[in-house]
Amino acid sequence: MRIGDFHASYRHDEALFDTRVQRAWLGVLLAALAAFPFVGGSYFVYLACLLGIHLISAAGLNIMTGYTGLISLGHAAFMGVGCYTVAVAEKASIPFYLALPLAGLVSAAIGLVVGIPSLRIKGLYFAVATLAAQFVLGFVFREWESVTGGVRGANVPAASLFGFELAGDQRIYFLIVPLAVVMLLGARNLFRTRVGRAFIAIRDRDISAEVLGISLFHHKLLAFAIGSFYAGVAGGLWGYFFRVATPELFGLPLSVFYLAAIIVGGLGSILGTILGATFMTMVPEVLRALVAWAEALGVQEAGVFLASIRQVVFGLLIVGFLIFEPHGLAEIWRRVRRFFHLWPFRT
Amino acid sequence: MSSFDRRRFIGSGIAASAAAALGAPLRVFAQSGEIVIGAAPPITGVFAFAGAGLHAGLSDWVEWKNAQGGIAGRKLRYVAEDSGYKVDQSVAIFKKIVAQHRPPLFYGDSTGWAKAIAPEVSQLGSLLATGPSFSSDLADPVKAPYYFMPGPTYSGMIEILLEHVSRSAAGATKPSVAFVYSDTEFGRDPIPAGKAKAAKLGIPVALEIVTKPGAVDVSAEMIKLRRAKPDFVIFHGYVLAPIPEFIRQMREAGLSSRGMGTIYSMDKTTIDQMGATGAGFLGVMPYRYSFDSQKTPTMELIREVGSRKPGSPWQTLFYTQGWLVGMIFDQVIGRTLGAKKELTGPNMKAALESINKWDTGGIFGVPVSMRTHAIPAGRTYLVTGKSIEPASDWITIG
Amino acid sequence: MDWLLLAEFSLVGLLSGGVLALIALGFVLVYKGTRVINFAMGEFMMVGAYLFWTTHVFLKLPWWAALALTLVGIAGLGAVVERFVLRPLAGQPVISIVMATIGLGAVLHGAAEAIWGGANLALPEILPRKPLILGEVLLPGQVLWSFALAVALIAGFTAYFHWSKGGVSMRAAASDPVTAYAMGIDVRRTQRLTWIFAGVTGAVAGIIVASMTSLSPTLGTVALGVLAVIILGGLDSIAGAIIAGLIVGWLESITVAFIGGQARDVVPYLVVLVILMVRPYGLFGTRDIERL
Repeated sequence: MRIGDFHASYRHDEALFDTRVQRAWLGVLLAALAAFPFVGGSYFVYLACLLGIHLISAAGLNIMTGYTGLISLGHAAFMGVGCYTVAVAEKASIPFYLALPLAGLVSAAIGLVVGIPSLRIKGLYFAVATLAAQFVLGFVFREWESVTGGVRGANVPAASLFGFELAGDQRIYFLIVPLAVVMLLGARNLFRTRVGRAFIAIRDRDISAEVLGISLFHHKLLAFAIGSFYAGVAGGLWGYFFRVATPELFGLPLSVFYLAAIIVGGLGSILGTILGATFMTMVPEVLRALVAWAEALGVQEAGVFLASIRQVVFGLLIVGFLIFEPHGLAEIWRRVRRFFHLWPFRT
Repeated sequence: MSSFDRRRFIGSGIAASAAAALGAPLRVFAQSGEIVIGAAPPITGVFAFAGAGLHAGLSDWVEWKNAQGGIAGRKLRYVAEDSGYKVDQSVAIFKKIVAQHRPPLFYGDSTGWAKAIAPEVSQLGSLLATGPSFSSDLADPVKAPYYFMPGPTYSGMIEILLEHVSRSAAGATKPSVAFVYSDTEFGRDPIPAGKAKAAKLGIPVALEIVTKPGAVDVSAEMIKLRRAKPDFVIFHGYVLAPIPEFIRQMREAGLSSRGMGTIYSMDKTTIDQMGATGAGFLGVMPYRYSFDSQKTPTMELIREVGSRKPGSPWQTLFYTQGWLVGMIFDQVIGRTLGAKKELTGPNMKAALESINKWDTGGIFGVPVSMRTHAIPAGRTYLVTGKSIEPASDWITIG
Repeated sequence: MDWLLLAEFSLVGLLSGGVLALIALGFVLVYKGTRVINFAMGEFMMVGAYLFWTTHVFLKLPWWAALALTLVGIAGLGAVVERFVLRPLAGQPVISIVMATIGLGAVLHGAAEAIWGGANLALPEILPRKPLILGEVLLPGQVLWSFALAVALIAGFTAYFHWSKGGVSMRAAASDPVTAYAMGIDVRRTQRLTWIFAGVTGAVAGIIVASMTSLSPTLGTVALGVLAVIILGGLDSIAGAIIAGLIVGWLESITVAFIGGQARDVVPYLVVLVILMVRPYGLFGTRDIERL
């Protein structure tokens, strides 16, 4: 049982991880992440890489939507921008450590353009404007053949560092996962700064925020740019991971997937981003196992409904969390933690 | 979709793969014993109409082959899981089956799937992959060295249709064609090659129309078609909709153009859905239909094996395709093991490329060869009032 | 391009805009009544069309009985959705409402696929197909009739809102729920009614679209294009929905004429993006005035 932690200095109060226990667990986690590709099965390494990409992208969306209140139905398209940027950059033999930031920057630049209307339009109108961005960018991916390769898509060579190719899941893991850790920490840090807090103020009541001297124009655009930067980097990693960029990969369903992930995890919470993205990535795996289990118990034809079940469950999760746990898995996590902090004296 | 294939499909792969998802790694290395054939067919989703047959055909072939004693004394095992025709799903299934079972052969999913796994397949160099996509982009031994397709490319199919158009002209002026295709990879794939072929044959291309796939309103497109008055309209990149609507509106507008289609519009069930609209539709089909009046050994075998199971979709061309994939796998494994070589990617690729003047026992009406990892043969069929009749002899192109 | 051809493209476009306007009406009704954009509208259409297929083609009921049963079924669905999904979310931020309807759409889509399968089904042709030929110009029969049907339905709804007691109370509840409640209007009832009406419009639109093309679980994607219509017209304006529906129908047809089918979906959205920069609440939408 933990009695409490006392913040004896401002530095301590502002620290990202304020207790020794937290820091210890963080160390254990990092060690486990480093060892994972050598221990876990290759399918799980693949899943971990995919999850790393999802985490970065979902964190970007949470910065925009969860923290700043700007709904984006076009997040996947920004990933696409990143992915194609990497494909083009590799063609110009730009190494990955430059291509990935470039992917983020190009995506952020386009995010700025899309974000401009955000000053004038709000709420549902803005949501549909981002949907328009999704469709328009998808159209560009399909039609701008000389750059994107059109509907056939573009190939992305493997990332390589001094001649060492990061090909295969086990190697690319060491690019994706550390980057995901860094970017998540960066996102967490953002909300200890003035800019991050301004985002939250805008979300809660933009007019009040403006009265307090926060430039709406500046900060809304910045939020959009940062969110798109994350999406762009995630998209670039996607390119190095799947080694191909085709327009249908970055469609509306993927955008909705990320929105679902941050809702299930918890809007405006980095922990929620992690929990939500992990949860939504694992749900199909669990469903598959459940269906097999039902089969083993003699329920006929369960497998054929797997795709439909997956979709129904996806929808039910969104609606269910919205109604019953609007703060998402992060809130459940906090409740569980509180329970164990006080256990066994108060339950 | 019938119920039988669902049941069988479950038995085959899902249980095994799901056990692993629960955290119990199931490692079966087929070094000298079993040969695993992995698959991620689209049993549900928008491609379900085909996926069920593809899956049943291949799994029935494996069962039949095992009853015959396997290949070179080694048994086969079929491990499959439904892809739902979604790229992320099918890639995940591929990764999982490869990680757990190391199959030397894999039957996959869409063009998107094939492209997404191509780098890994090249890098692994341990397996040969195929799937229901006939995208000409994939029939490329340089870019996709370990991928092949069980039939002609979409470009090849369009070329066969254009050959038919060219031969149908009696006089010096060739009839004109219009291309109507969906704005997808599937739809756009053969259009450049088709236009080149038309130019070579001297066939004027009256019009090109791009539409969204599936259920769309085509009235505006019809205005263009009505003015262009092509003699033939080649539809590609669709399964059913909006082809019947186009044909109906063409008739209502008094056009006498003949509609033409490619493999995935040509199954009997799809043609039947067109109803009266379908009469006069002409399409290219790489395989012999199960109801062909000419009896051939393989088609008889398919009838016998398929009709053992109630509700089997053995009559569909997809079942035939699944079966043919099995037969090609048989050739590849047989030739590789026969040469006392291991089942590695390069060895199997060599075996695949050595398939020359191969008698499929009637699936194709002529002996066929692997050319750029595709089988460039097929023939055209005409939909008459009640049945589908051959409209040409077997055509081998290229 | 000659003028006659342009006229023909324009006419066909305007006429096919009728169905878009009808779908847009379904969106606007819900927005006016409950301040929700129903992203599951397309799935309502799809479920309506499947219900009609089941009663008419599968159970072989005459078309009027099938239509009646379909409308009852979809009205029930609308009421259930209102009660169990939207009412608990009253007062939540925009994103929650948007995502709830998207989630609802996924549930309906998955359920439809489980029940009816993913394959294409054919609805019989309900609308007469005989084309109208005016010299060189040909107007397909089903396009004309669907336009007429849409006009009739929209006119019916508009009349209901203007002159019936139920319609007036719905308008009252929409513009100011609290005052309406104080004046003795059962706001919950009117909200339920709103969703029922939206379901009915959706089902009719779905049946029209499915009979003109074909029926599959992906039918609902049609409604995604209509989002451009309602934003263009303004979320809370019925007149705006109708005019924007015709504009977008015309735009799509002209796009096909000059650019090609690949740009058909994108051009309306591009126009919407431009319009929003100039008029942030669409052409006819009400401007929200925010106070601290």
